[in-house]
Amino acid sequence: MNEVVGNVLRFGVLASSIVILVGTALLVANSGFSGISGALTYNPNQIPHGTFDVSLSGLVKGLTGFQPYSLIELGVIILLATPVSRVLISVFLFAVEGDRVYAYITAIVLALLLFSILLTPFIGVFNA
Amino acid sequence: MFVVEFLLILFLVSVFAGIFGSIVGLGGGVVVIPVLTLLLGVDVHFAIGASIVAIIGTSSGAASVYVKDKMTNLRVGMFLELATTSGAIVGAALAAYVDSAALEMIFGSILLVTLVPTVMKIGEDIPKNPELKGLSKRLALKGSYAEPDGSVVNYNATRPKTGLFGMVIAGMLSGLLGIGSGAFKVISMDVAMKLPMKVSTTTSNFMIGVTAAASAGIYFARGDVDPLIVAPVALGILIGAALGARVLVRSRNPTIRKIFAVVLAVAAVEMILAAEGIAV
Repeated sequence: MNEVVGNVLRFGVLASSIVILVGTALLVANSGFSGISGALTYNPNQIPHGTFDVSLSGLVKGLTGFQPYSLIELGVIILLATPVSRVLISVFLFAVEGDRVYAYITAIVLALLLFSILLTPFIGVFNA
Repeated sequence: MFVVEFLLILFLVSVFAGIFGSIVGLGGGVVVIPVLTLLLGVDVHFAIGASIVAIIGTSSGAASVYVKDKMTNLRVGMFLELATTSGAIVGAALAAYVDSAALEMIFGSILLVTLVPTVMKIGEDIPKNPELKGLSKRLALKGSYAEPDGSVVNYNATRPKTGLFGMVIAGMLSGLLGIGSGAFKVISMDVAMKLPMKVSTTTSNFMIGVTAAASAGIYFARGDVDPLIVAPVALGILIGAALGARVLVRSRNPTIRKIFAVVLAVAAVEMILAAEGIAV
């Protein structure tokens, strides 16, 4: 059981690091900023500050164009998916072990998790 | 080059945060948020967005080591996660109606108070093994792990309902304030459930990742997750967490407790300062 979970975690962590690293390298290579600022304060005017494209189509478009932000976004999404996959796999592993009580407990945690990640962004009370 | 400086500083700070975060079972937000807001002048919303990514990174980065060493108690974690995820959802729904400064003051003070049992227990290696009974027995809330010298420690959890109650509070706090609330999780397992310190911090480490993932969607949709900030934070945290996890596996419980006590004090002061309007 630990073997499978460990491999999923290692894969998630490695894949996400590599994708984020490539995205960051591209960002730095493309930016061509010259060092003018003396004060080390985050200034949105001086730094290529951005937001992630939350839509799936925007992400896919950015990825096919090798856009740095889209690559970083993909890496962050892989990272966010690792704990969720861990819970998902645990449901099956508890079930395979014949541990029904924990298979149910873990399934409830998974349901709460998916509700929170996928649905709460669209429910008004969570975004007030 | 200014951009490179910014990225490098964030990367190095995050390595540091990852090392400490993975050892004491906190997400690393305790380190990352004040550096971002106070030193680099980043808006607190982006700092919290980065902290959410840092928490998940600490959790997954360290867990790949802990799982192999059977340090994390997955049963205890999943059982308590029922409370933290529900608490987090309720907290997120209430966030707009609650005065966050008052909350920070209350919980900062509670954290300060919990320093007392933590410090009193300094020197404790392995807690006296309570008898496994009631709910703990039915849910098999027990486990074992190997110390660095090869000796195997068997332990049983006690007072699962008190632990569960602590976790509802920890979860609500996560949803309300966007923090990992790892400190409350460790204290619930350490003080209420009497788990060995290493098991408490590594199980908290597992749990903070799951709870943070639950709220990540909201922060993502709000645009609080800034690519330029989270990229170096994620990379640094993942490296730091893997390093810290190796340190924990080789350390003994009293050492972990001492480090936890220091981080707990810092976290408490940060929360009280945040209530006073100093964005940390």
